[in-house]
Amino acid sequence: MAKVFRRLVAFFRRSLQARWVAATLIMSTIALVSVGGFLSYSISAGLFETRQQQIMAESARAVVEVQNTFTASTSTDTATLQGLMNTVVPNLESKTTNSSRTVALLRSPGQSNGQYLQSPVSLGLDAGIVPEALREKVRTHASKLLYQSVSIIVGTESHPGLIVGSHIEIPVAGAYELYLVYDLGSAQQTLDFVQSTLVFGGAIMILLIGAVSFYVTGRIVSPVRKAAEVSAQLAAGDLEPRLKDAGDDVIAALGKSFNTMADSMQAKINELSAVSQMQQVFVSDVSHELRTPLTTIKLSAELLQARRDELDPAAVRNLDKLTGQINRFEDLLADLLEISRFDAKSVVGEFEVEDLNGVVGMALAHIQPLADSKGSVLEVDIPNGPVEAEFDPRRVERVLRNLLSNAIEHGEGKPIRIEVGQSPTAVAVTVTDYGVGMTPSQVSRVFDRFWRADPARKRTTGGTGLGLAIALADTTLHNGWLQLVSSPNKGTTFRLTLPRKQAVLFTQSPLPLGRRDS
Amino acid sequence: MKKILVIEDDFEMNESICEVLTNAGYEAIPVHDALQAISKFESVKPDLVLLDWMLDPQLQGIDIAKKIRETQGTPIIMVTAKTDPEDIILGLEAGADDYVTKPFNSQVLVARIKANLRDIKSSEQEVLTLGPITIDVPGHEVRKDGTRLQLTPLEFNLLQTLAASPGEVFSREELLVKVWGYQFKPDDKFKPDTRLVNVHVQRLRSKIEEDADSPQFVLTERGIGYKAGTN
Repeated sequence: MAKVFRRLVAFFRRSLQARWVAATLIMSTIALVSVGGFLSYSISAGLFETRQQQIMAESARAVVEVQNTFTASTSTDTATLQGLMNTVVPNLESKTTNSSRTVALLRSPGQSNGQYLQSPVSLGLDAGIVPEALREKVRTHASKLLYQSVSIIVGTESHPGLIVGSHIEIPVAGAYELYLVYDLGSAQQTLDFVQSTLVFGGAIMILLIGAVSFYVTGRIVSPVRKAAEVSAQLAAGDLEPRLKDAGDDVIAALGKSFNTMADSMQAKINELSAVSQMQQVFVSDVSHELRTPLTTIKLSAELLQARRDELDPAAVRNLDKLTGQINRFEDLLADLLEISRFDAKSVVGEFEVEDLNGVVGMALAHIQPLADSKGSVLEVDIPNGPVEAEFDPRRVERVLRNLLSNAIEHGEGKPIRIEVGQSPTAVAVTVTDYGVGMTPSQVSRVFDRFWRADPARKRTTGGTGLGLAIALADTTLHNGWLQLVSSPNKGTTFRLTLPRKQAVLFTQSPLPLGRRDS
Repeated sequence: MKKILVIEDDFEMNESICEVLTNAGYEAIPVHDALQAISKFESVKPDLVLLDWMLDPQLQGIDIAKKIRETQGTPIIMVTAKTDPEDIILGLEAGADDYVTKPFNSQVLVARIKANLRDIKSSEQEVLTLGPITIDVPGHEVRKDGTRLQLTPLEFNLLQTLAASPGEVFSREELLVKVWGYQFKPDDKFKPDTRLVNVHVQRLRSKIEEDADSPQFVLTERGIGYKAGTN
């Protein structure tokens, strides 16, 4: 039940049209019920009032007639009087299709004088329905015609009725009360009919209003819905879809301005992507074009190196500078080309199932000479047994080399800690140094191209400034994470997390990123 | 003295390469014009060709490699500025045995040349057999059912290495060392591209197998490498 309710609520929250239709229905129902109620009330009031006036007139005539009958009678004989009284009831009774009148001629109680005569009552009329209050009033207001509404039982049904009573003075017999009981069933029937017609008509009216409002809101909501769909498609990268914009109304205006917006957006995006593609091609071309002259320079430098014994010390010094810078230039070129490949999205990973420990070992072996030269001890904590995962070993090794050389460069000769961890869904490596560290604003820029934490700092390991940007791109290629924490003068921890299998999603790294200070 | 044809249109680059090769004890013959490459090749009959991949727009390195391969198995090392794997595979499929990417250094170049010129002594046996295939090691000759097969020296070395220990699985890296003479050093930027091996195995198969897609003699060991079939 609660579920159904929740779903209903959810439906209304989702559907603008449903809300509008519901609101229209509620408001028109309120209006219709008020109008119908008023109509019903005034019709019933009018109906009963007319009937009542009619009844009062009839009754007045009847009372006068009866009183005259008795007044005119000179008979003192009880039998004759009784006979006269007995004619009163059938004379006044009537039974027509739209109203019936029954009669009771009752002797007023509490009279000691006067002949006792039987009180005639219409067949089927229970004299007890005449309320005592009415009888008392009739007795006290002898000259007045009095009435009261009652409900009378006809067969098994209860009908509304009106009792009109009057005082009658019967010679010899004394004070009597004449009651005329009118059955207003037919008026009620008329009223019932009118009311049911009103209700039925009202219901149809509400249904029609509902249908009309559904149609109208549909006409208004559907272009809005269409606009929402099309903008979702645009947002998803499909730049082609447009709205219908025929016509001159506000919906068409919405469509036109939406389409204009989409057109200019598409043009802008195409222009930008063309520019960015040109730039990528340019970077790639430049890197390639530089390769031939660089090779010649390199070979020439090497030919000179082979004859360095013949050179004077200043020339040797220059030759060494030349060689060093050529190597740096070469690294830079390689990294630039790699970045341009990532930018062009032409990088495809070669994934295979490998032991991460082995790759870590290779990276460590490669970096060991650098660590030795800086005096950093490499502390390694890897699990026993293989840590197998699906990754591109060349790229992962490159990421690790980058992290390690970074740690050594900023580690100030303190130990570097390397940990490997695994969980059912992921594998991870952390590289921690206890060196200079970075401020939060530096951390936020650490993956930016050519960004250096401290430009004034002397670089000794000769990074290109693209290492971490490439490492991040490599990690992203693996659907992995490359994260770090750092604090100034305490050091930095980088954590690389990779999924076990490329299709596997992971939500947590097997290793914590928190810093453990040694 | 081994003769090496250096086909490279950049004059100074060609000069530097030739000087490096001369210093390493080879006779270097420079060719600057791609259009003369084939005639020079035929007149010089070099032991090895060093071929730049980006030459004349009308005659690319890839075309020269194909032309040479039509008649000769002379080792071809392509020199390329392109580093995209697809380009390299394309070059290897056209007939190059090996490649160096610019910018290379002289040691690497000389090492690659040396490796491509050497003979492999992978067994003491003079004649190896692999089903209907007989390999005459000193004669550098391979016959299948008595018919002589035209293998390049590299293909010969590859087949010989595998056939010398039938059933033994060689990893791609192992084959790079044994057949191509690669020396892995920890300071290599990358592990070398093992697709070099894949391409040549495929080429070898197309020459010795009935159906290269379901090989009988050079078998793939999934995830590890290759071995010679023992049946």
